[in-house]
Amino acid sequence: MKPAAFQYFDPQSVTDAVARLREHGGAAKVLAGGQSLLPLMNLRLVRPAVVVDINRIASLAYIRESHGTLTLGALTRLSAVEGSDVVRRHVPLLAEAAAHVGHLAIRHRGTIGGNLAHADPASEIPAALLALEGHVVATGPRGERTIAAADLFKGPLTTALDPAELLTEVRVPIDPPGSGSAFLEVSRREGDYALVGVAVLLQKDGGRCARARLGLCGVGGTALRMREAETILESAGVTDDALPAVALAVERAVAPSDDVQASADYRRHVAGVLTVRAVRKAWQRAQEGGR
Amino acid sequence: MATRRHGTEVREITVKVNGIVYQETVEPRRLLVDLLRDDLGLTGTHVGCEHGVCGACTVLLDGVSVRACLMLAVQANGAEVTTVEGLARDGKLHPLQEAFWEHHALQCGFCTPGMLLTAYELLQGNRTPGEDAIREAIAGNLCRCTGYQNIVRAVEKAGRA
Amino acid sequence: MADTTVRRWVGKSIKRLEDPKLLSGEARYIDDVHESGMLHAAVLRSPYAHARIRRIDTSRAKALAGVVAVVTGKEAAELAGPVPAFCAEPVVQHAIAVDKVRFAGEAVAAVAAVDRYIAEDAVDLIEVEWEPLAVVSAVASALRPGAPLVHETLGTNLVFARTLTFGNVKSDFARADRIVRRQLRWPRVAAVPLETAGAVAKYERTSRRMTVWANTNMYHYSAMPLAGTLKVDPNRFSIVPVHVGGSFGSKHLLSKVITIAGILSKATGRPVKFLEDRIDNLVACDSHASDRIYDAELAVTTDGRFLSLRIDVVDDYGAYFQFGQTSHGNYLAQVTGPYTIGSVEITLKAVLTNKCQQMVYRGAGSEVNNWVLEVLVDTAARELGMSPIEMRRKNFIRPEQFPYKIPTGNYYDSGNYAGVLDQAIQMADLDRWRKEQARLRAEGRYIGIGLATCQQRSVYSSTEFWFWYEKPGFPVTATPEGVSVRIGQSGQFSVSLSSPFWGNSPETVVAQVLAEEFGIDPATVSVVYEESSRALPAAGPGGSRLTVMLAGAVCGAARKLKEKIFRIAAHLLEASPQDLTLADGRVSVKGVPQRALTLADIAATAHFFKMSLPAELETGLDASHTYDHPFTTPPSADRSDLGAFYPIMAHAAHVPVVEVDVDTGLVKFLDYVAVHDCGTMMNPAALEGQIVGGIAQGIGTALYEELVYDDQGQLRTASFLDYLLPTAAEVPSIRMGHQETPSPYTPYGLKGSGEGGRMVAPAAIASAVQDALAPLGIEVSELPITPDRIVRWVRAARARPR
Repeated sequence: MKPAAFQYFDPQSVTDAVARLREHGGAAKVLAGGQSLLPLMNLRLVRPAVVVDINRIASLAYIRESHGTLTLGALTRLSAVEGSDVVRRHVPLLAEAAAHVGHLAIRHRGTIGGNLAHADPASEIPAALLALEGHVVATGPRGERTIAAADLFKGPLTTALDPAELLTEVRVPIDPPGSGSAFLEVSRREGDYALVGVAVLLQKDGGRCARARLGLCGVGGTALRMREAETILESAGVTDDALPAVALAVERAVAPSDDVQASADYRRHVAGVLTVRAVRKAWQRAQEGGR
Repeated sequence: MATRRHGTEVREITVKVNGIVYQETVEPRRLLVDLLRDDLGLTGTHVGCEHGVCGACTVLLDGVSVRACLMLAVQANGAEVTTVEGLARDGKLHPLQEAFWEHHALQCGFCTPGMLLTAYELLQGNRTPGEDAIREAIAGNLCRCTGYQNIVRAVEKAGRA
Repeated sequence: MADTTVRRWVGKSIKRLEDPKLLSGEARYIDDVHESGMLHAAVLRSPYAHARIRRIDTSRAKALAGVVAVVTGKEAAELAGPVPAFCAEPVVQHAIAVDKVRFAGEAVAAVAAVDRYIAEDAVDLIEVEWEPLAVVSAVASALRPGAPLVHETLGTNLVFARTLTFGNVKSDFARADRIVRRQLRWPRVAAVPLETAGAVAKYERTSRRMTVWANTNMYHYSAMPLAGTLKVDPNRFSIVPVHVGGSFGSKHLLSKVITIAGILSKATGRPVKFLEDRIDNLVACDSHASDRIYDAELAVTTDGRFLSLRIDVVDDYGAYFQFGQTSHGNYLAQVTGPYTIGSVEITLKAVLTNKCQQMVYRGAGSEVNNWVLEVLVDTAARELGMSPIEMRRKNFIRPEQFPYKIPTGNYYDSGNYAGVLDQAIQMADLDRWRKEQARLRAEGRYIGIGLATCQQRSVYSSTEFWFWYEKPGFPVTATPEGVSVRIGQSGQFSVSLSSPFWGNSPETVVAQVLAEEFGIDPATVSVVYEESSRALPAAGPGGSRLTVMLAGAVCGAARKLKEKIFRIAAHLLEASPQDLTLADGRVSVKGVPQRALTLADIAATAHFFKMSLPAELETGLDASHTYDHPFTTPPSADRSDLGAFYPIMAHAAHVPVVEVDVDTGLVKFLDYVAVHDCGTMMNPAALEGQIVGGIAQGIGTALYEELVYDDQGQLRTASFLDYLLPTAAEVPSIRMGHQETPSPYTPYGLKGSGEGGRMVAPAAIASAVQDALAPLGIEVSELPITPDRIVRWVRAARARPR
């Protein structure tokens, strides 16, 4: 299984990369980690006429924290996200989600920007970004713009990025005091795509759940926020009484499909079950002082 | 300088594999695993799926494990690659290979090169991984013969050697 | 043959001779074979499961730079005939489909180009005009009157149907107190070795000679038919073995892969490599495994004795029938399990559909019957309110009853089933797990303890290929294994094997036997593999036969060598052969150890000093021996007795403990005990490796793997993203125990056990999951037990009114 031929560019700067994308429009595909794109190309399921390999743009790999925001360059490898002390300390949900992506060899090449731009509905990072209410920066011929996570994912493998735009940065707020987060997923085997994944970020204030954010993957055409379930948690708290309602709210909100690995019914049911488990875990961590 | 072969452009790359520098001319679409196996004659790295799941093609690139079937050869320009052929020294097996032999950690041998390099990376970071850590580390390397048990034992013993 | 049970080398876990070259990357697999001028092939696969080929235009493909040949099915048919098949029915398969395709993924054209990239580019340029036909997507629709026919020449999709009755089934069922009945579904899976199938064919036009390198087996049976297919004289056709990256039965017959490579080599006059990619392998490997629906009954008495067994089985063979119904002959060797069941009836329907065809996969159909029988036994225990353990004990064949003839006519050579069960229970600490289970149930957690006690037949006889037929086309009865042993000029041992390395340990086995027989260091033995034109007759690995057969062949060659060695030594030492003894690589006069010669001395004489030899001896010191099945008898004409065909009978008991998360359907192993009786063990470490590997495959079959076809005959699990092989995270550590009831029929009392783990694990794991879900009244009747199925069963159970 070998890829079809393509014209290849490996620009050394964002400006050059954008220029190539602009020149070739929809005929070009960005190659970052390649862990999602290359299988599709090897299988000849996609045959881009042009490949723009951005791996030479060294300036796109960084992890910085300042003024309450964690910024990651798009080319930051998922293994770096997983292992970064800065990420683990300030936004542990992102590190935990990253650790669930495939296996280490995949994470050594896969990038945070590439994962988000690919927008696989079963992918963990989009779910985490939704729960974190993060943003991405898209750089195109007309300059930079910021896209909120809620506006980024449009459909399966489809984002709000224009063909000539490159996703260059990811921004997430660092966890406020009293935070607890958890990422849980159910998959057929270790390292597989999630059948259902749940990213939870809670903020504890005294005994209340002051803020709840839930992002799910594997349960629709894109990763989804569970706003109704969040409202229940913020009003009723993380209690044995409230959690069944949370599960029901999740089951109502998701829109999964049947596939060869699991039915829609299964995914709907497990979405509720897993959300409850993830919420409990996040709450326990919030009580332990936030990890 | 791009020239053409059979209608497509080619690139010149320089890559160091197991300590030896090679200069090759490749089509951009040529996979790293095919460069290693067919152009450099290093057939120890195996192809099992070409979609990044089985791990048989695992090599080390600039010190970290990667799937050679999910990289283009041109992406390895300027990099250092280690394949299974780079583990033994002057015909003497690496302690990890010795451990695999001692503990019967291979049967058909097809997954073994990828398994060795994954284990090598694990032990570089942690000399005393427990069973769970080893199983998690090698979960991305499929083996159809051994059922993994002896591989786990071999890696554990090699770490403590 | 050594007649002492105190052995120095047989029974030792020595390091394998095979390993260094595998560890270093030096081993040569099929994709490592390079011939000068070699081209690379790719095939155009049919997108339709059933369609006529109206027109193929290969002109654009041929015009692509780097393409040397493009061959359609019609063009291929001028260079090669249909591929060989071992069935009696006129089910004809061409390596490249000629008029119509019968499964999605069937080859319709093949390209040979300077590299695989360009070959695939050329495939993309081939244009085909199709006439889609109605798809026969399942057994039920295949058997409906008026169903589309997979093979028009057959006139039906029911390619084979027969009932075989052994003993008084009718009267045994009539006098039973209770009939236990289950309907079960065994899923289509496949061996899926990590290395795909491949061949390099090199046709030399002027000498009309074809050499084929291929990771195949069984070329003693298939080389001549393949030569016939490729229209090459059989004595100008040779198959060269290579290292094989796993087979588990799937690479026995690589007829299509070899034929495609051969066709392209004939078309181009150059060597051509055809290597399946992973999609080719999942979709079109011609080696999917059993795909069965069962309606099975066990007739029992109130006090729990088994009387009779009736099995109705329908098997979906896909589009072709290359190995006939061999996988149904296979389990007749042990259809009644380790139990004294007096009669059995099997009604078999083999059906063709628009899917990839079957070959055999580790267990070869017996792993399926093991599951069916164990389910019936456990169901009987439940219905009669008896303990499943006590029920098994009550019906086990007892040690004093061996050799035991089962109703089908096969024999069980030896065994101690109660002993194996006792050890398994003790190792598993069953009482402790039962207490733990009760405690966790009270907490709302579901753990289950499974049990399966199953036979693992070994050393097949080729009669199983054809005895279902009333009039077999080719009733082969040879199941040989030939080996040549040479003692070289310096006394060093070299062995030529006639069948390939698959991941088993043939080199180590022959080295251990030679070490045992001659008192040498096994690490000094050198082993090579002969190509088919030079090889002795050999059926190769499969059916758990090779260790026994190699031992027999090497012992036979050793006998011949020893005879010559003793005659030379007697001559040189001026003694008589009866006064000599061989130990530790030396021949000495009994009681006078200083009057001795090393094997090196004797070898040098044999090779160089003719005038020092007894006059009637030839120069040289080598011997060959072709060992055939140690105990097989022909079937009776009416097939009421199939003869002895698989009598070397190993046995095992597995006790897995699982926890089922009933809300997510995930299954986790808490423990796994496996006790095996494989007769005398040759190399315990190697044996354990086979068992654990087989268990891992059994876990795959029980919980993760399924080849899912939709109603248009499209395979929906056509890559490793969807066809799920267990990883190190899914396979637990296995705690193993062993017993040895030696076989009276084999060298050293060896029994084969290459298939062991997979023959028992699915039954044991299904039993464990059912035990976990017992409080919910759930019965497991289908595999794989996926999370989706568990959640569905649990929710349905909870919704049922109490």
